[in-house]
Amino acid sequence: MNTGVVVLAEPRVSLCGSAALLLDAEGPMTLPTQERIWRLGDRVRDWEGVVDAQPGMNSLLIVLDPLEADPQALSARLLDVWPTIEAGRIRGRLLEVGVVYGGEGGQDLPDVAAYHRCTPQEIVALHAAPEYVVFAPSVSPGFGYLFGLDPRLFTPRRKVPVMRPVGGGVSIGGGQSNLGKPYVEGGPTMNPTGWHVIGCAPRLPAPFDLAKDPPNLLSLGDRIRFRVDRIEA
Amino acid sequence: MIEILETPPLNAIQDLGRLGYRCHGVGRGGAMDRVALAAANALLGNDENAAGIELQLFPVRVRFAGDTVFALTGADCEARLDGRLLPPWWAMSAQAGQELVLSPPRQGLRAYLAVAGGIDVPEVMGSRSTQMRDGFGGLDGRALAAGDRLAAFPAPAFALRDGAGLGALPASLALAAADCPQAQPGETVLRVIQAAEYEQFDAASQAALWQTPWKVTAQSNRQGYRLAGVALQRLEPVEMRSHGIVPGVIQVPPSGQPIIQLADGNSAGGYPKIGVVIEADLWRIAQAAPGSALRFVSCTLEEARTAERAVAAYLGTLRRLAGYCRLPSLGKVA
Repeated sequence: MNTGVVVLAEPRVSLCGSAALLLDAEGPMTLPTQERIWRLGDRVRDWEGVVDAQPGMNSLLIVLDPLEADPQALSARLLDVWPTIEAGRIRGRLLEVGVVYGGEGGQDLPDVAAYHRCTPQEIVALHAAPEYVVFAPSVSPGFGYLFGLDPRLFTPRRKVPVMRPVGGGVSIGGGQSNLGKPYVEGGPTMNPTGWHVIGCAPRLPAPFDLAKDPPNLLSLGDRIRFRVDRIEA
Repeated sequence: MIEILETPPLNAIQDLGRLGYRCHGVGRGGAMDRVALAAANALLGNDENAAGIELQLFPVRVRFAGDTVFALTGADCEARLDGRLLPPWWAMSAQAGQELVLSPPRQGLRAYLAVAGGIDVPEVMGSRSTQMRDGFGGLDGRALAAGDRLAAFPAPAFALRDGAGLGALPASLALAAADCPQAQPGETVLRVIQAAEYEQFDAASQAALWQTPWKVTAQSNRQGYRLAGVALQRLEPVEMRSHGIVPGVIQVPPSGQPIIQLADGNSAGGYPKIGVVIEADLWRIAQAAPGSALRFVSCTLEEARTAERAVAAYLGTLRRLAGYCRLPSLGKVA
């Protein structure tokens, strides 16, 4: 069974309905490629018929005005321009996040260790070693999808989602690792997910606060370091 | 001014949504049935994007605290103004103190109430729509509750030529759905463009997508509709990277039961996409109730564009005709 991620030899633009295009970059996920994606996103927002752009992991979603835009012409233009975009380092801010691995807030740690045939301590050591970079906006404002997971921790997403607590969950899904938003008073306490929750960051600042400028705790290019506060059996 | 007298949860202020904030992970949000909201605004001569109230649960009771003109579109909720039954897709004047009551829909699912000038709430990131999940936009980022008082923006005073009001041809009658010979009465037919992972599905799954009905389950809301039908299978299970998605994306999680992401859906996801419902048909999903069925019809980009132009033409005509039915109200000039 192949569970690896497809690596394209050439960039590809596909239709995402009548009002969006998705550019998938060639090659594996790397920081230089992602830097080019951020720059392409900034560039295309000024193109006629483009109303929004959103980086993904090794991809860029381009949202169009369905009445004004010519998706076919824009696809061709994207493939023309993409190779000319150069990488360039954005030195983002660094956020250190204290994590309690395992225990109630990280209940999938034993299963992930079993899957990889190693100890929970070894999983934690591998997970907390790298500096992660915010590569793309995540499913809700404030945080982002992180790049930097050690390939040895690649863990396929679940076939059937499970309910896990809301509130600073640190999880692994496929080749990605993520930090979930903190619990919001009055909000849902559980959330369905196909990811494996291996830890919890209990003292996480609000990721998105309109009273602050900028409202986002983290922007594209910012970095996260997970600090091991404790490992619970 | 409108006072909310009675409302179940989940009814909230919406406009046509947010654009330009996806780099912060903020998707479009806004009205589920954008055509119905735009039509209500067209009837009143409002900006197309003016904020109105999206009503998804009933009964709802409101009182007009001042003289105004209002429009109701979307689901047919047997609306009564001081007990008098109104036709669906209707605009008329209301006097201060009059009460409007909406009952659970006879047809459709979501109704839209707009008032002359549009609802006055602050713009947050370019939109007045309520983003309930993250608690911003609309009225303090929350659903409406009894006791809420909503103001409208000042609009040039006008009266309707006919005291009985004026109506619009409902979108469901004005905008033809795609041909689908196997569709049963009551099923909602949607045009779909194949998405990037379409070819990864086996032939039987591809055929099932187009040839079988898809039941709307009870787990269906503004975030997305979970569908039940034939389990769709990929030839090989390949992990996907997280990528941006738009309302209308039909994702297939490993269970094989598709999910259509909608207005409040995630702005990104990692499930394979078998297709995307075209923008011009998204409003039809907003009116499809749990328990009903959807049918998907394959569509080209050119057909999608034709459908989008038909929506724009419908709204343009409605706006023009409604304009003939309004008179500047000299009596109200200060």
